Amino acid sequence: MKHIDCKYYLPVDAFKGLCKRDKNNIAADDESCEHFEKAQKCKHCFNFQLTTDDMGNCMKKYDAYPQLNALTCTDFHWN
Amino acid sequence: MSFPDEFLECSAINYYGNAPQGHILEREIVKNPTQRVEKIRNQYFETKSSASIEFPYWYTRKWEELEGEVPIVRRAEALKTGFEHLTPVIYPGELLVMGKANYLRGSYPMPWLSEAFFLAKEDEMYKEALEAGKVSSDEVTTMGQGGGNVTKSIGNVISIAGKFGMRKEEMPMLLRIAKKWHNKSVDDIGHKYEQLVPGYSTKEEIMRAVICMFDSGYTLPQGREVMNYYYPLQYGINGILKICKEKIDASAGYPNMDRKYFYKSIETVLLGIQKWIKNHADEARFMASLEKDNNQLHEYLDIAERLDWLSHNPPRDFHDALQLTWIFHVAVLNEDAISGLSPGRLGQVLYPYWKQDMDEGKLDKEKTIELLETMRMKFTQLDCFASMGVVGGVLSGNTFNNLCVGGLTKDGNSAANELEILIMESSITCDTPQPTLSLLYDEKLPEEFLLKGIETTKVGTGYPAWVNNRVAMEFIMENFKNEGMEMEEARAWSIGGCLETSAGSWMPLEFNGEIHYIPGGSAPATSVGVHFISVPKVLEAVLYNGIDRRTGRRVYPAHGKKLSTYEELWETFKEYFSLTVEVLTLTNNIQHDIWGKISPSIVNSMLKPDCLETGKDISHKGSRYNRTFNVEVCGGVNLVNSLASVKKNVYVEKNFSLANLKDAIDSNFGYFTAQETGSYSLIEQKRTEKYEDWLKIHSQCLDAPKYGNDESFVDNIFRDWQIWFSKMCENYLSLYNEPLYSCQISVSTHAPMGAVTLATPDGRLSGTTFADGSVSAYPGTDQNGPYALFNSATCYNHALSQNSQLNMKIHPSVVAGREGSKKFLEMIKAYLRKGAFHAQFNIVDSRMLKDAQNNPDNYRGLMVRVAGFTQYWVELGKQIQDEVIARTEYEEI
Repeated sequence: MKHIDCKYYLPVDAFKGLCKRDKNNIAADDESCEHFEKAQKCKHCFNFQLTTDDMGNCMKKYDAYPQLNALTCTDFHWN
Repeated sequence: MSFPDEFLECSAINYYGNAPQGHILEREIVKNPTQRVEKIRNQYFETKSSASIEFPYWYTRKWEELEGEVPIVRRAEALKTGFEHLTPVIYPGELLVMGKANYLRGSYPMPWLSEAFFLAKEDEMYKEALEAGKVSSDEVTTMGQGGGNVTKSIGNVISIAGKFGMRKEEMPMLLRIAKKWHNKSVDDIGHKYEQLVPGYSTKEEIMRAVICMFDSGYTLPQGREVMNYYYPLQYGINGILKICKEKIDASAGYPNMDRKYFYKSIETVLLGIQKWIKNHADEARFMASLEKDNNQLHEYLDIAERLDWLSHNPPRDFHDALQLTWIFHVAVLNEDAISGLSPGRLGQVLYPYWKQDMDEGKLDKEKTIELLETMRMKFTQLDCFASMGVVGGVLSGNTFNNLCVGGLTKDGNSAANELEILIMESSITCDTPQPTLSLLYDEKLPEEFLLKGIETTKVGTGYPAWVNNRVAMEFIMENFKNEGMEMEEARAWSIGGCLETSAGSWMPLEFNGEIHYIPGGSAPATSVGVHFISVPKVLEAVLYNGIDRRTGRRVYPAHGKKLSTYEELWETFKEYFSLTVEVLTLTNNIQHDIWGKISPSIVNSMLKPDCLETGKDISHKGSRYNRTFNVEVCGGVNLVNSLASVKKNVYVEKNFSLANLKDAIDSNFGYFTAQETGSYSLIEQKRTEKYEDWLKIHSQCLDAPKYGNDESFVDNIFRDWQIWFSKMCENYLSLYNEPLYSCQISVSTHAPMGAVTLATPDGRLSGTTFADGSVSAYPGTDQNGPYALFNSATCYNHALSQNSQLNMKIHPSVVAGREGSKKFLEMIKAYLRKGAFHAQFNIVDSRMLKDAQNNPDNYRGLMVRVAGFTQYWVELGKQIQDEVIARTEYEEI
């Protein structure tokens, strides 16, 4: 998994971020470390269904995409 | 085609005085921010401008779900859903938190306004937009290649508009959302109805020719205005919700039912904002849970406590008040694409809180400066997501958050205070582009306050702009008298955006049992109207019988005149210009009407007096003052110099005929064009083999009288133009049935508009950048010193227009030391006392700019004043860089 998919990833820009645990600079697309924990994203949600490689739907009625952050979504449930 | 460097060497920067010798002279005033802020600034320098689609995703999802709902309520629900779903981010070291999107320098597209420009260029919808002239300016704009701009796609990041980076995995959804808004966005619906305007096809041709830069009715539907923070400061969010509840109860079922929907909309969006704040409080607690450093841990917990409090209540102290004003500033920015949302006289608004904390010993000078520095970083991190033509060609990536100091109080005394001194100090220690500063100069301001302004100016960042309080008040009184403006209220004015004089009001803030009358904006956007008309390009169309020579397309009806007298030429120019203003006013009114119908302002409406009292949003004239539509022009000085040249050479001395002149223009006076050389200033051009064929006529054009030298021949033309232009604007009515007025700022439009304009009769070459501002001389042509320039600039009444704009470049050696400061201040006073509205200065050695152009990596923090804004050198397009380098540099004052 990549840093960008980690719960501790703090995005600075589209390329990079900080690790919330140790404040180190990390590239979004680099491989994550042993402290990795999944971030709440649509792709991990019970309500999300993938329809193509990069698109899907939410609760079968809304368009959604797998990488969408879902930290603030009240309908999010871990799959 | 490209040329070796020796052809492009800057051989003759034009100095008034002796060209500086020796090493490049560094700044005299150099200070540093606190260690905390230095770290944040360094992080900013390493950060790329990034866009996310979280907000538009949730906005669109809710919007679709509520089809059939009352439009303003539907809009409110969409905004609420956007706010409450933004992923909270809090960065280590921050004292003020929250931003537009989940990146340090984040922003997002707003497809409900316009969706065409971020579609793929091969997409049919993009081609439609191109055909309608909507994206013509994109094609002729250059974006800065350095700094935080993402100029090309790399890896999993896609470049949009040459500036914003977006994650590749978000692109399919962006395109899907864009297509959902096709024929539903303000742009598309406005376009459908603007075609009902008689002569609409002329408008499309005007846009294709880039005679006008953009459709202001929807592109930037808000901005160039002054925020009003009174209601959140006075009542807090819970207090405003209570007002809404009472108002809903009082209006439900009664006539003027629109009031009820408006209050319901405010209530809805406020609940979204409340959740947005609470989400950040939760995130601060999460960050604290991971934190090992005790100081940082407590700072996170302080942030969480403050946000929890502010999600319901009014501020208790200065830090609270600063955080709350920032939250509402961002909240407004998140409802529309906005440029120039100015905090206004923030030092006077926040003074009661600051004074309390200082008196109680909770704050000291150093802590205040650190907080203000962090505020500067938050403003600097703002980006406005818009098309290449708008964000690059007009804005140069700037967001124009103008903070004003000085001016007068409600009862007419100096309004300068100690907090404003610290605001200036923090802009020296933390010299960043935002917020830019304007000093509202009045004879009543203390000398030491003015000298602090001079010290700030000498940092070399171009701010504060020096603005004449009395001229602005005269403009305010004249233009808002029909809406009840009185002298006392006129004193509450401030600058919105670059330099747009904006009406304000005094609001009675009750704090610690006392009433403090705080100034704030009370008029909506001045970003709406006719923006911008390239006047040299209109003159070009006159010379070529209504044809855009660059594209060969007919723009205006053929005038068919021989132009045998200067008067006939001038009259024809006025006819074409008037036609331009007429058609663009009508189409813009329609675009903005559609904006008000389907995408009205809710947050900003809530803040602007007297919307909350009357139950009317901005688009229903809820603001106390509503005469804000204007006509903006670009290239006025090139127009005037060209008219002077034609008058002298063709009509008075008959040195050559108009046909000869057109031949010379067609041949670009025997030079390569700017596009061919890649250089955009007159001083760095390369001759063709046929140069000598046009040498004589070019010399005569260059030798014709030039504005800025106190010469009556050309200054009379300048005055005639100014008076006619300001007067003619009043012939056209805004959507709100108020006459338009003139506005004269160039922003960055003098670059792309110059790029599409042939050589001009003043000797300027094809494609080169126009003179900036409105009363700045064309680079290198002001040869009689600053006071001659001042005389030329003040040959008409500046209060006729919303502004005038003068940029000067002064070598640092001229103003060195305390004596230099005093001399500098006296020069500024002399200009303003002549009735000038505005002046601003680049205190910089031109050789440093040239060096920075060649070695950008050495100058990440270098800033220059372009027009009404300061920007990092490396984030400016080359067209603008070349123009700034070429400006006359004064070595004597």
